[in-house]
Amino acid sequence: MNKKEIIKVIVFLFILFVIMFFLFKILWLNPTAISLFYEEPKNSLDIVFTGASTTYRSFNTVLAYNLYGYTSGILSSSAQPFILTEYLIKESEKYQNPSLYVIDIGRVGNGPEADEEGNIRTNTDSMKFSKNRTDAINAIMEYKNIDSKQYANLNFSFLMYHNKWKSISKENIVGAKNYYKGYSFLDKSAVIKPIEKYTWIDDEIELQEKNEEILNSLINYIKDNNLNVLFIVPKKIYMEDENKRINSAIKIIQDNNMNVVNFNTIEEFNDIIDINTNFYDNDHLNVYGATKYTLYLAKYLNENYEFKDHRNDANYSSWSKEYERFKSSFKKITNKEFDELLLEYKNI
Amino acid sequence: MCLTTFTFIAFCIITLFIYFIIPKKFQWIVLLVSSVTFLFWDNFNIETIIQALIVLMSAYVFGRLIDKYYDTKKAKRFLAFGILIILAQLIYLKYTNLFLTTFNHIFNLFGIKYQFGLVYRNSLIGISYYSLIMISYMTDIYRGTCKAQKNIFKCALFMSYFPILTSGPFIRYDSVGKEMYKEHKFNYNDMCYGLLRILWGVFKILVISQRLGIFVDNIYTNIGIYNFLLTFLAVLAFPLQLYTNFSGSIDVIMGISEIMGIKLPENFKLPFFSRTITEFWRNWHITLGAWLRDYIFYPLQKSNVMQKLNKKCKNIFGKKIGKKIPMYVSMVIMWILIGLWHGGAYTYIIGSGILQFLFIFLEDILSPASKKINDKLGINTEVFSYKLYQIIRTYLLFSFAMIFFKATRISNAIEIIKSMFTFNLGILSKKIILSALGMDLYDFAILIVSLLTLFIVQLLARKGSVRGKLFKQNIIFRWGIIYSLIFSIVIFGCYGVGYNATAFIYGQF
Repeated sequence: MNKKEIIKVIVFLFILFVIMFFLFKILWLNPTAISLFYEEPKNSLDIVFTGASTTYRSFNTVLAYNLYGYTSGILSSSAQPFILTEYLIKESEKYQNPSLYVIDIGRVGNGPEADEEGNIRTNTDSMKFSKNRTDAINAIMEYKNIDSKQYANLNFSFLMYHNKWKSISKENIVGAKNYYKGYSFLDKSAVIKPIEKYTWIDDEIELQEKNEEILNSLINYIKDNNLNVLFIVPKKIYMEDENKRINSAIKIIQDNNMNVVNFNTIEEFNDIIDINTNFYDNDHLNVYGATKYTLYLAKYLNENYEFKDHRNDANYSSWSKEYERFKSSFKKITNKEFDELLLEYKNI
Repeated sequence: MCLTTFTFIAFCIITLFIYFIIPKKFQWIVLLVSSVTFLFWDNFNIETIIQALIVLMSAYVFGRLIDKYYDTKKAKRFLAFGILIILAQLIYLKYTNLFLTTFNHIFNLFGIKYQFGLVYRNSLIGISYYSLIMISYMTDIYRGTCKAQKNIFKCALFMSYFPILTSGPFIRYDSVGKEMYKEHKFNYNDMCYGLLRILWGVFKILVISQRLGIFVDNIYTNIGIYNFLLTFLAVLAFPLQLYTNFSGSIDVIMGISEIMGIKLPENFKLPFFSRTITEFWRNWHITLGAWLRDYIFYPLQKSNVMQKLNKKCKNIFGKKIGKKIPMYVSMVIMWILIGLWHGGAYTYIIGSGILQFLFIFLEDILSPASKKINDKLGINTEVFSYKLYQIIRTYLLFSFAMIFFKATRISNAIEIIKSMFTFNLGILSKKIILSALGMDLYDFAILIVSLLTLFIVQLLARKGSVRGKLFKQNIIFRWGIIYSLIFSIVIFGCYGVGYNATAFIYGQF
């Protein structure tokens, strides 16, 4: 090849890769709470939440900021596989230096069969390409006993998303904004749907062997890295075995001198949550329930941990803006001022 | 290893990279190592090693002996031994079940309860190709067309040349074989031409063939569910699916070889523009037809049995008809073998064998009458409309035969034919059509656009090399076309796990 030909090849490949890069971006998974987590300024978060949808549909991060001035990031996804918690915390450690991690253990009692591909991908495909992402994929492949032929498919997800050209979202092209800083406030969240019979039992059955290993590995990682962690069990309907396994997990965590808040057994919290009007469905609080939950948990966090108050810091103005956005959305949906609701809940 | 996988792309890149950076005298060794790796990639065990060695050792040893005793009776005997061993293994591995099912049917006919159990043989990729290629290698030595290869490793390379193992074409030692051992310098133009051909091949496979396959498979697996129009459409679509898949694979194979400087024989020459089935088969899987013509048909015609038959027939039926009968007999044998080569099932023997022969036979015997009728009616056979009629007729006949080729059983093929002629429109709603197509409107639009692209490219190809024309264009147009091709494959290709939007919508919570 002569010089001219070499230049031609380089230019051709350069253009190809540039177009490919944008194409991959456009045809990728729609932005998620996890992919938007990267957009928060470095070391700007005081708390990072991990867990399933119970996290981002319950904890109103902008309300907590408005009340106490600390910032919370959401590294959660729908039915987030518990095995990914450790890898997500590792990912968070690369970009943030939070004072506290709040880990939702609502799915610790679910076996590998409960972690569906879509729920795995929402996490792994939202993570940036790195060794940690590959480790997370390897771990879930081993956990779920996924055929090794799927390795390329999970690692290089374009094999899957290239077919998404039929349903490209606006967010894929222009980028998405982290509205309400991770709190998911859908119109539907305001709709009240009756919940099935709610129970919580205190009996225990052993965690599945693999799940216990995962929990112990997470605890060891937390200890080795001196992380400050609060485990929480969200209030929702659980299957009986799931409930009993969570009790086992709570015991393991407490035996390791770590703090767990089980919202199913706190009487004070149960007294303020109305099963009939504060739930969207069996698993999720509606906006009223989420407000009560946030008021309760935000106060708990403020009383038990130390965080900086950023409310007067201009660098954090986006948090106030998002709180205002939330309030205006709330009004649009409920025809009610959010401040009025806060007045109603002032005793929480 | 499938031709359109990332593993194959990586495999080719590594092979090509090493091929051009090492000293040229070792290039053939790189090819040999790659070919052997490819051959055993999915199936490496003692059984498959023995299978490959049987073919290699028979061709090598008997090839040398034939060469040594050239032009003697011994050479003929050695050739027969060599062919017998290779054929025996091929028949054992590929056709045992065909024989067993035939016996089972016969037993059933005579009320015998005993049934043979079917056996599943573990055979190597490309066994049908390299077995026949090595038979032609020995025959060519016997005929004096080429000399035997003294280096067994070079002989092994000719047998296992990796690009051709999946889809051919059939190669000959005197032309392609020797090319493999030559030293090849990297050529920028060869690379560009080769890569463009590979891209076009991948486009045909992933964008067109796989998409058509969704529709065709849907109809063939749900026989009788969809109305006659949709069944008819699927029957017409299958030859296109087969062509885009097969010729696409050949494009990939030719492109890789072209980059390495090895020119392979063409296997397709715009078959769907053929005006008769005879012409169609001159343009479809050309190298298989040529192989069977040179190594089966001609030797059969020249054999003592056929010569005697020729004489007898001439005495009984006269010179004109008499000389045709032995030719038809040889043709029947050849077409049955073509059917058998495609697979050890009666559907293949009928679809790509007997029916094809029947069409050619009818064309041959009816052509004088047809000519007379045309002359009497004053039909101009050289105008576009008549040529178009002939092209459509050929396509319809080929499509009809392919019903048997595609169907898993003869009874299924008959069911398909029945549902084609059960003129019941039923409810032909958009929903039913899309359900039959197995794709949404977006995918259907892509299919139509890509078929139109194929048609335009084929029209251009009739007037010379499309690649040649493209590379003469200005860089912006040229690169625009190449990028469009690449991104069409990347975005619209049917590969990987399909993105299922509903799964993600459900996963909202």
